[in-house]
Amino acid sequence: MSDGREEREEQEQRRKWEKERKDREDDRERDWEHDGDQERRDSRAADALEIAALDAAVRAESGRRTRRSFLAAALAAAGGYSFYRWIDRSPGSQLIQRPLRKMLDFNARVSHAVFEERGLAPTFPVAKSMELRTNGNYGLKMDLVPETYRLQMVGVKGAKRLPQYVEDVTAWEYGYAAKKEAGPVEHDTKVAPKTEATVGNGPKAKADPNGDAGMGEGPMMQGGQASTMVSATGDAKQETKMSPAFEKAFADLKKAQGKKRPRGQEEAGMSDSTLDPGTPGLLLTMDELTSLPHHELVTEFKCIEGWSQVVHWGGYRLADLIAKYPPEPRLDGSLPKYVYMETPDGDYYCGYTLQACMHPQSLLVTEMAGRPLAQWHGAPIRLHMPIKYGYKQIKRIGLIAYTDSKPDDYWTKLGYDWYAGL
Amino acid sequence: MPESSKNSGEPVDSVNVPEADAMDGVAGDSAAEATELVVAEETVAPAVVVAPATVAELVEEKPPAEATIRLEKKHPLAIRWMHWVNFPVLFTMIWSGLLIYWNDSDNAYRHPHAVYRIGIGSLTLVRMFPPWFWKAINAPYHVTEGLGYHFFFMWIFAINGVLYVSYLLISGEWRVLVPERRSLRDALQVTLVDLHLRKGLPPQKKYNGAQRIAYTAVIVMGLGSLVTGLSIYKPTQAHWMTTLLGGYEMARWEHFWLTMGFCAFFLVHVGQVILAGWNNFRSMVSGVEIVPAAKASLEEERRAR
Repeated sequence: MSDGREEREEQEQRRKWEKERKDREDDRERDWEHDGDQERRDSRAADALEIAALDAAVRAESGRRTRRSFLAAALAAAGGYSFYRWIDRSPGSQLIQRPLRKMLDFNARVSHAVFEERGLAPTFPVAKSMELRTNGNYGLKMDLVPETYRLQMVGVKGAKRLPQYVEDVTAWEYGYAAKKEAGPVEHDTKVAPKTEATVGNGPKAKADPNGDAGMGEGPMMQGGQASTMVSATGDAKQETKMSPAFEKAFADLKKAQGKKRPRGQEEAGMSDSTLDPGTPGLLLTMDELTSLPHHELVTEFKCIEGWSQVVHWGGYRLADLIAKYPPEPRLDGSLPKYVYMETPDGDYYCGYTLQACMHPQSLLVTEMAGRPLAQWHGAPIRLHMPIKYGYKQIKRIGLIAYTDSKPDDYWTKLGYDWYAGL
Repeated sequence: MPESSKNSGEPVDSVNVPEADAMDGVAGDSAAEATELVVAEETVAPAVVVAPATVAELVEEKPPAEATIRLEKKHPLAIRWMHWVNFPVLFTMIWSGLLIYWNDSDNAYRHPHAVYRIGIGSLTLVRMFPPWFWKAINAPYHVTEGLGYHFFFMWIFAINGVLYVSYLLISGEWRVLVPERRSLRDALQVTLVDLHLRKGLPPQKKYNGAQRIAYTAVIVMGLGSLVTGLSIYKPTQAHWMTTLLGGYEMARWEHFWLTMGFCAFFLVHVGQVILAGWNNFRSMVSGVEIVPAAKASLEEERRAR
């Protein structure tokens, strides 16, 4: 059967073709594989290059950011330093840089707005109280003769009609005596005494570490420091040449003062708020104070130097004295804003708001630790005001004056805060 | 407490797609181009009759080359600013505080402050500070300067601190900062590794356990300084706060030792930053750190929870 044979031949032929085709395809595939190997090798090298380039790009971007941000940082640092320099080089306002002084005043306004100084200081049992350390004796360098003490009050309402009225309170002469006893005068000066003075005679004599023996001859009077609160740079006495006309006026003033000791003999100098001669007012005796209700208080005394002590105070509320001798209202009926106090010799002085003086814990102190106030603590009257630091708690008060202008203040002049509110 | 560049234990589990927003430079552009090319060919392919050879080529198309490193957005701009503002401000607060404190450090005389010392009962080992120290920093009789600067810069310190904490809360950045349940254990482990007592850091993301504890603690200490400072500043008007802190002298003691704590933190922090190296330090200025591309993104940690 030729048909069968032809069919077989045809199938064979087809298989052959298919095989050939397959071989051709396989060949082509093999060729392709071969080419692919080469291609992949090339691709790997290219990838490595590309990756390196990409990594480099990331690093470049980082470098760009780094340069930009470090430039910004340098500008910011320069700005910050300029800010510090601006504060540090600012002209002084009462011995500290003006921006710092402005900030102290701003802080005072914030404190006053937030707290209104109405808070009461915590009180303690008497058993916790202790002897108050003495620190600074401005205005106390000699003993005051108690019989010659009068409390001057200026700006009191209807003063003229009162029996204690005088035409010139500044004419009152306080009697002084050399200190009988130095008291527990402690070395809180940070300055080695230049002279080792002694106090008293015979077996009772003792060394006075402050070296002034209460006579105003010690290191403090010779340019030394009475307390760490004094700045190191501020104690050099300035030698200024005065014009002949000024010198003559100054000599005339000294002559007019007569034998009177000049006021403001300590580092801060004379107060701008001290009374002019011829200021009318009241001269109160101790009896007029002691007729007020007596109060006792055990509170923590805080010094701006950082130490604090619980002290037992006895005396009379300043608010009661103010109620008895109220300020003369202004024309519009409002009360003056401030109160000014100073020692009889005008060496130490403080300013307060009337509101601070009206605080129920502001105390005119006549006893401490259950005993009459010692001269070195400010007899016959000192102030305790737990809403203020110790430097506002003036010893030996000679004058209480109501005033409309912000009064001068001893430590404010030497760089401390006027407000000093706690 | 190693800074975060020591992250050898980081689990590598994420895809290494470069972050477009961190790479808006050349690298980002080429990566984006590569992606576009792939997308275009895939879209076009079914519509065109192609020769078998072309098909084979398409099948074999390799993924685009990627960088082995990338820039990690590590520290937000606000945090960097507040961190660096805080540095000179805190320094000024400590310096002015020392000028104030000198007043009450009358070591040689009769009133050494009883509380600023290291000792038990009547036995005092060290009193803060010795006279040579005061002399070296020129502290004597600069009290008014100290008070003036302290009560000026307190505002900047407080405002910066309030802004910082507010930013942490609003941005969610607090998630990478506050300690977690495992932070204490991690911190111990990290400390042991740092002291060369063991090997193998625990896995961490932005910060390790020790960093989380230290950085959170220093913020709490900052708050402590504000609170103790205020109760020293206004012990009569804010007496309830002073009383809560144990009274005026205790508040001063706390304020002082918090400051010592800042100094200790500063020493350890600076030491660790030096050990961690330039890449880590630079990120606190530029905001970005160079990290391996495979490293998990911090954005995930920020968004977590």
